[in-house]
Amino acid sequence: MVISENKQTLEGHYVNLRPLQVEDAELTFGWRQGARAILLNQGAQTVDQQARWIASRPASEYNFIIETKSHRHIGMLSLSGIDAVNRVGEPGRFLIGDEEGAQGLPAAAEAMKLLYELAFDRLGLRRVWGIVAEDNRRMVKWQTYLGMTREGCLREHLFINGHVQNAIIFGLLVSEYRRTTLPRLESLIAAAGLPVASVHPSE
Amino acid sequence: MVIKTTVIDIIYRALQALNGELPADKQVPLDTQTRLFGPESTLDSLSLVSVIVDVETGIADDLGKTVSLTDDEAMTQQVSPFSSVDTLADYILKQLARG
Repeated sequence: MVISENKQTLEGHYVNLRPLQVEDAELTFGWRQGARAILLNQGAQTVDQQARWIASRPASEYNFIIETKSHRHIGMLSLSGIDAVNRVGEPGRFLIGDEEGAQGLPAAAEAMKLLYELAFDRLGLRRVWGIVAEDNRRMVKWQTYLGMTREGCLREHLFINGHVQNAIIFGLLVSEYRRTTLPRLESLIAAAGLPVASVHPSE
Repeated sequence: MVIKTTVIDIIYRALQALNGELPADKQVPLDTQTRLFGPESTLDSLSLVSVIVDVETGIADDLGKTVSLTDDEAMTQQVSPFSSVDTLADYILKQLARG
């Protein structure tokens, strides 16, 4: 098992995950103000706060920018809460901020595949977990479809989108990842019907 | 025998549910030629999964049949089932015809 791993760019066929940098503060802050982020936890209130937040990420976290093969930045994704003793981690901070840039690409599916490969194959984790706001129905369907098990509910745990709401706890074991998640992610990537190593159709 | 309009109605219901969660300027047209995924489509992976889940559920609820829209067979079709609403309906009908 390898828990320490150099923070390198993870390369896929359609997107890469490259390490988040302080220079990404303005871009990621802008995404966090967009309509798609309305069902996420409230983040930084200014670009400076966002920059400080990025600078203060502990070395144990993996925070990425999702970029197309032509290096257009389209979203962000993280693996945090890594517990080397219990071998668990928490994927999250998942946001496609540039919808136009992601259009037509299996960006979310391949980004998740790359992150799970890091979690299960490179870091040797045996379980990942996270919470999703109950109102975030597309994300609830996404996690369920990809094989995550609904393990519980934190009642009235979140104040998001102007009201208090439940947080659903999802968990995924490495065996479930290999049996269900990976084949489904590969199917979704194939569903785009794009040739491998394609760049964004509009670029 | 299931007719195509029944299947298209189920797909439209899934798209309507998706539209309920999308902003006004991102609404997906209810049209048989609407591109579902891939080049020129308006759906991203998250939205596609939402549609897949709702269509599979709709087929089970309305027709009492089980279909899998992302199995190996679906992905090896010459024309992707997700090219458009029309191709998805045809693929579902083919699966249903086989029982």
